[in-house]
Amino acid sequence: MQILHGTWIPAPDTEFVQAGRFYLWIETTARQPELEEQGCYPLQLTGDELARTLTGEFKLQSPDNTPLENRIEPCYFLLPTVDCAPLPSLELSRYLEIALPETFEFEYWEVDGYPIDCAPPANSRSKAMGIVPLLNELHFLTLHSLNELQLGSDLLFWFHFTQALKRIIFKDHYIPALKYRPLAPRKSTAKKASSKRSSGRQKATDSQSSEQFTLYSGWEFIGDEYETLLEQYVEYMPLLCSAGFAVPHEDPQLYNPLTLLRHFSECLLAEVVTHTRFTKAFEKTVSDSVLDNCLNLHTWVKQTGLEQYQQWQTWRDRIVRTQTDQPFYLYFHLLDPVNSDGPWQLQFEVAPKDDPSLKLSLDDYWNMGKPQQKKLKSRLGSDFEQSLLLNLGYASRIYPALWQGLETDQPVGIQLSLGEAFTFLKESAWVLENAGYKVLVPAWWTPQGRRRAKVRLKAKGKSLSGGKDKSKSYFSLDRLVEYQYELAIGDEPVSEQEWHQLVNAKTPLVQFRGQWIELDQDKMQQMLEFWQTHQAENPELSLLDFLKLTAKGDDGELEVMCDRQDMLAEMLGKLSDKTQLQPVDDPEHFAGQLREYQKRGVSWLQYLEELGLNGCLADDMGLGKTIQVIARLVQEREPEDPESSRAPDRLPPTLLIAPTSVVGNWRREIHKFAPHITVAVHHGSDRIKEAKAFKRACRNHDIIITSFALARKDAKLFNTVEWHRIVLDEAQNIKNPKAALTKAICKFSAPHRLALTGTPIENRLLDLWSIFHFLNPGYLGNQTQFRKNFEVPIQKNNNLRQSATLKKLVEPFILRRVKTDQSIINDLPDKVEQKLYCNLTKEQASLYEAVVKDVEQKLENAEEGIQRKGLILATLTKLKQVCNHPRQFLQDDSEFTAARSHKLTRLTEMIEEAAAEQDSLLVFTQFTELGHALEKYIRQTLHCNTYYLHGGTAQKKREAMIAEFQHPETEPSVFVLSLKAGGVGITLTKANHVFHFDRWWNPSVENQATDRAFRIGQKKNVFVHKFVAIGTLEERIDEMIEDKKKLAGAIVGADESWLTELDDNAFRQLISLNKSAIIE
Amino acid sequence: MSQFSRSWWGQKFITAIENLTDSGRLSRGRSYARGRKVKGFEIDGNLVTAQVRGSINPYFGVHKEPLYHITIEFQPLSAAKWSAAVAEMASKASVISRLLLNEIPDDIEKTFQSLNLNLLPGSQKDFKTSCSCPDWSNPCKHIAGVYYLVAAELDQDPFLLFELRGLSRENLIKELSKSPLGQALSAELKSVQSRPQPAAAYYALPETLPAKGETNLREFWQGKKQLPQTMEALPEKSVSAIQVKKQGDFPAFWHRDNSFIEAMEMLYEQVKSKGHL
Repeated sequence: MQILHGTWIPAPDTEFVQAGRFYLWIETTARQPELEEQGCYPLQLTGDELARTLTGEFKLQSPDNTPLENRIEPCYFLLPTVDCAPLPSLELSRYLEIALPETFEFEYWEVDGYPIDCAPPANSRSKAMGIVPLLNELHFLTLHSLNELQLGSDLLFWFHFTQALKRIIFKDHYIPALKYRPLAPRKSTAKKASSKRSSGRQKATDSQSSEQFTLYSGWEFIGDEYETLLEQYVEYMPLLCSAGFAVPHEDPQLYNPLTLLRHFSECLLAEVVTHTRFTKAFEKTVSDSVLDNCLNLHTWVKQTGLEQYQQWQTWRDRIVRTQTDQPFYLYFHLLDPVNSDGPWQLQFEVAPKDDPSLKLSLDDYWNMGKPQQKKLKSRLGSDFEQSLLLNLGYASRIYPALWQGLETDQPVGIQLSLGEAFTFLKESAWVLENAGYKVLVPAWWTPQGRRRAKVRLKAKGKSLSGGKDKSKSYFSLDRLVEYQYELAIGDEPVSEQEWHQLVNAKTPLVQFRGQWIELDQDKMQQMLEFWQTHQAENPELSLLDFLKLTAKGDDGELEVMCDRQDMLAEMLGKLSDKTQLQPVDDPEHFAGQLREYQKRGVSWLQYLEELGLNGCLADDMGLGKTIQVIARLVQEREPEDPESSRAPDRLPPTLLIAPTSVVGNWRREIHKFAPHITVAVHHGSDRIKEAKAFKRACRNHDIIITSFALARKDAKLFNTVEWHRIVLDEAQNIKNPKAALTKAICKFSAPHRLALTGTPIENRLLDLWSIFHFLNPGYLGNQTQFRKNFEVPIQKNNNLRQSATLKKLVEPFILRRVKTDQSIINDLPDKVEQKLYCNLTKEQASLYEAVVKDVEQKLENAEEGIQRKGLILATLTKLKQVCNHPRQFLQDDSEFTAARSHKLTRLTEMIEEAAAEQDSLLVFTQFTELGHALEKYIRQTLHCNTYYLHGGTAQKKREAMIAEFQHPETEPSVFVLSLKAGGVGITLTKANHVFHFDRWWNPSVENQATDRAFRIGQKKNVFVHKFVAIGTLEERIDEMIEDKKKLAGAIVGADESWLTELDDNAFRQLISLNKSAIIE
Repeated sequence: MSQFSRSWWGQKFITAIENLTDSGRLSRGRSYARGRKVKGFEIDGNLVTAQVRGSINPYFGVHKEPLYHITIEFQPLSAAKWSAAVAEMASKASVISRLLLNEIPDDIEKTFQSLNLNLLPGSQKDFKTSCSCPDWSNPCKHIAGVYYLVAAELDQDPFLLFELRGLSRENLIKELSKSPLGQALSAELKSVQSRPQPAAAYYALPETLPAKGETNLREFWQGKKQLPQTMEALPEKSVSAIQVKKQGDFPAFWHRDNSFIEAMEMLYEQVKSKGHL
C-alpha cells in the first residue's frame, strides 16, 4: 500500500523574496530499515522508485522534460517519533501491524520529495501541470482507482484548498500590487508626512527623500472572502502540512498554519498570473506600465517609483475600504408601475448589515427628524452620509443612469422608462449585484416568479388496451406517451392570435393578463414557426424516453408538461415524490407486519413494475429491504379482487442473486414471513446442472436463490429460463461493467428487474451506470457517453448542472429512505433488532462435526456433576469458536480471511455499507482473541478507523478511546469491544449500528451491551444485528431464547449454566449439525 | 505620458490656451514640458511660477542658454462668490459624489452658470500670463509649456482647480462644512495620505512555532476538523474586474493612454482561460 503525500515548503533562504515549492512524496508499507539509520524516514519511496511511480501511475512530467529523478530533493519533515523511530501516518498505520502510542516526540526525518511548480514557466514546452490542476488530477485518479495508492489527508486538504483559491481567482479578487521595502532604518519621516495631504500637490517624494527603499511589484488578494477562506481552512489543515522544511531546525518547529497558507496563496497567485501566456495584443496594451512591471515581478530603487507607489496605495485603500468597512447595505429596488405606461421607480434603500430586516428607503431617512437619524446612525455608521454618497458615486460609475438621481442634496431614487427598466433588469442589476450592492427586482423577474414564453410538449399517457383487463397492460414494457405541442406563457396556454399580438408588441416588457413578462420577439417568432409546422403531428414516445426528456429540464424554450388530470402527471408526481404513493395493506398471506414506510416501498415496487420500469431499492441498511421484497412476492400472488375465487395463474419464478453470505438468510426470512412461497437454493456441488431438470425445478418454485459466483458459472442454465423477475441483492457487485459476471447477469431474460443496495450509489457514478445498465439498458447512454456527459464533468470539474441533471434522470428509479429521515425515525422503534443468519463454510462444518463427534464419545464416559458440566461448557465454547471463524477454533496463525467464514464475509459487507454512509458502529464479541483479530482485520482490510477495548485495556487508554470515538470531528469509526469489558458503564452513542458477532445466551447481557449506543430520548434509531449460524447450536439456542421470552421473560440465568441442565439427548440435539445449512 | 491630460476637465482647461495661440507655439510648448525643460515649477494659490530653459538663438542675439521666468495668474473669484458657488455645489449629491471620487462633475459649469460664473478658464480674462522671453506673442511657447504641466497636475488633483480660482483648500473645507452634504466631502478632504506600508517580505512571511508535545496524532495527520463533503462549483459568469471598475478608469499610477480597466479585464480573462488553474 502506498499513500501519496505532499505539502508546501517555503524556500530555506530568508531573502526578501522568499519563494517555496510544493513537494510530493510517497509513503509505503515496504520498509527500508537501512534508511532509518541515516536519519531518513524508512517507510518512503526514494529516488528512482519515487520518480518511477510518479511517472507510471500519474504520468507526471517535469517542466523541462528532464527525467523526474534528477529533480528529486531531500526535504525534512517533523514527524511523531517514539524511541527514535518515526511513526507511520494514520492512513498507513491501518496497513501495518503496530499499536499507536499515546505519547510521542517530534523529530526531523529526511524524505525524498518531488518539487512541483505553482505554475510551470510560460515558456515551458512540456505537459507539466501547475499545482492546482495537478492536485485535481491526482484526486480524480485516486478517487475510484482500485490500485494500491491513496491520497493522504494532507494532499486531500491541499486539493480542497487549491480549488477554493481557484474560485477566488475566478472572481477576480486580486489586484496588481506594489510593495515597499525600507532599506535603512526609518528616521523622522513621520512628522513630515502628517501635513502632506493638506498641501495636496506637494510632491510626495519630497517628504520621503530621506528614506532608502526598494519597490517591488507583484499581486495581492483583496476582499473578505479570501480572508475568511484562510481562517476556515486553518481548521481543516493537518499539521503534517506545516511540518515540511527545506532545512531542519535545531529544535522541533512547525510552520504557523495561517502564515503558511498565506505564503502559499501569495506565491501561487504571483506564479499563476505571471506565468500565464498572455496574448501579444494584451502585452501591447500594458507595455511600460505598472501592470507590465507587476507581470515581470519588477523591482526598482529609484525615488520616482514612490509617487506611483503612493498613488497605488490610495487606490488600493479605497478598494479595500468600500469592500469591507461600511456597516450598511445599499439597495436598489425596482418597482413596476401601477399602470403599464407609467414610469418605473428605482428606489434607494439602506439597511444595517447586522440586521438587514431594518431596511428603509432613503426617502424615509431624509424625512425623519434629526434625533431619529442620529439614532439610526448608531447602526449605519457615524459617517453614514459620507459613505452613502461615496457608494452612490461608485454605483453611478457602474450604472450612470443613477447620476440623475443625485442632482439633489437628498437622493431618493430615479425614474426609468420601460426600455431603461428592461436594460436595468437585463444587465445593470446583475452588474450592481456583482459589485456588492443589493438589488431588489419585482417578483415576476425572479427565477421562481418568471413566466416565459415557450413551446410546451404536452404529453399524455396512451392507454393501450383501453379495456378493464389490467393484466394486459401489466406487461406493456414500452408504454407509450402521446404528445403534442402548444404555445404557452408561464403555465397558461396562449392562443395563436394572442401570440401574434405579443410578437407584434414592440417593447421587450409587456403586461400580459395583468402581469409583466419579458418577451423576446425573435425567439417567439421562431417558436411560432416551430409550432405551426409541428402542431399537426401526433407523435409518440416511449415512457423511458419521456422520462429522459423530462429530466433534461426546461432551460430551453421547450418545456415538457402534462395535464394535471392526466395519468402521466400523476405518474411523474409519484415517481418524484414517493410519499404520494398509497401504502399497500399487509398482504393477506404475509406472516408479519410491515412498517408504514415498508408498505410504501412495496407499493413503489408494484407501481414501477406495472409501468414496466425497473428500479433500485436503496434503503439504508437495517430498514428492511429483504422484507419488502418478500412482501412483494406474496402480494403479486394474491388475487387482485379478493372476492374472485379464481386463483391467479402461477407466476414464473423470480431469480434472486445474492452474495453467498446472505443466501441462507434469504431462505430463512422467506420461510419466516411467507412460508407458502416455495424456495429453491441453487448452490453447492449437488445443485441441478442439467437444463431440463433445472427448468422443471424452476416451474415448481416461486423463487430460486443463487450466489453471484454461480450466476456467472451457471449462466447458461439461467439463460434457459424465462424469469418473472431478476433481483440483485447487494447490486454493487455488478459495479464493474466489464466483468464477466456483470455481462452474464445483464443477459438474463425477465420483464422485471430489481436492484437492492444499501450503499449510496448516486455518489459512485460508474457503479450507478453499471446498475442502470442492468435495470434500464441505454437509459444513461453507453459507457463512453456517460463518462463524457456525467462522470468527468461531475467528478473532475465539479459541474453542478450535470450533477443535477443526472440526479433528475435517476431519481424516479431509486427509492432511498435514510434512517435519519424524521418520518422513518417516527416509524421505527428506538432499537431495531434483526438477526443475520449465516451458513457455515465447508471448513467450518467439518470442524464442527469433529467437535460434535468427539464430545459424543466423551459424554458417554463422563460422570455426572462437575465433570459433565465442564464438558458441556467447553463444548459450547468450541462450537461457538467454529461458528465464528476456523482460525479462532484452531488457534494456529492461519489466515483470518472472510472466505473461511460467512459471518465474517457478511460483517465485511455490512461494515462497507455503513462506512459508505458515514456511520459509526460497535462490534461485540465474547472472545478476546477474536476481538483482536476482528479489529486488525477491519483496520487493515477495510481501512476503517478502529478502536479495540477488552478486559486488559488500561483505564486511561479506555477513556481516551471512548472520547475520541465520540468526538464529532473524528471520522466514522468501528469500535470492537469484548462483551464483558465493554458491556456496561460506557457511552458510545455515536454508533448507529451494533453487531453481536457471536451470541451470549442471555438476552439481558446482550441488551446491556447494545445500550452502549443507545440513550433514551435520542433522536435516532440504533440498528442491532445479531449473527446466527444456521443449522448449528447457535440457531437452536436462539430459538429457545425466543420461546422462553415469549413464555416468561428472562428465566434464563446470567450465565450459560442453564444449558448444562439439559439431558444428554437434548444436548445432542442442541449441538447436532444440520448439513443442509452448509454453503461453500 | 503622451497626452498631458486624460480627464475631461484637463482637456477643457487646455482648450482655453489653445484658443489663444497658434499650433506652432503649442507644439513647441508641449516639447518643453515633455523635455524636462521646465524648472522650479510651483503653484501657489492662483499663481503659477516657473523657469524654462530656453534655446540658443543667435538671430535674436541669444548666445547662451537663457532661463526665462514665467508667471500665470488666474483670476480669483471673490470670497462671496465662492461662498455661493460652494453652497450651490453642496446642494447636489451628484457633484459631491463625483468630487469624492476625485473627479470634476462634467456638468459643473451648469452649477456655476446659475451664478453667472465659470470655473474653468475660458478666455484671456480668466488668466494673465507673462514671460521674460523676447517673443512678442503672449502666450508664448514657454507659457504654453507651463500651462500644459498645470493641466497634467489637474488630472491627479481636481481640487487644484478651485485653488487656481482663489479658493484655498482650507476655505473649501470651511465652506463645505456649512451644509450637511458638503460635510461628507470636507471630511474626506481632511483625511491624510497614509504612510507607505513597509513590507517585511515580498510574500507573507511563513512563521514557525515550537512543536507542542501534547499534539494529538489525529490532529497531526488529519487536521482539527473534517473537510467538507461537498465542494462549491466555480462561479458561473460574473462581471469582470468589478472591484477595479468601481475605482474609475485611469488611476493615477496608470500612465498609458489606453484604458486601465480594459487592460485589467483582458488580464483577468486570460488568467482564467490560459492560467495554470
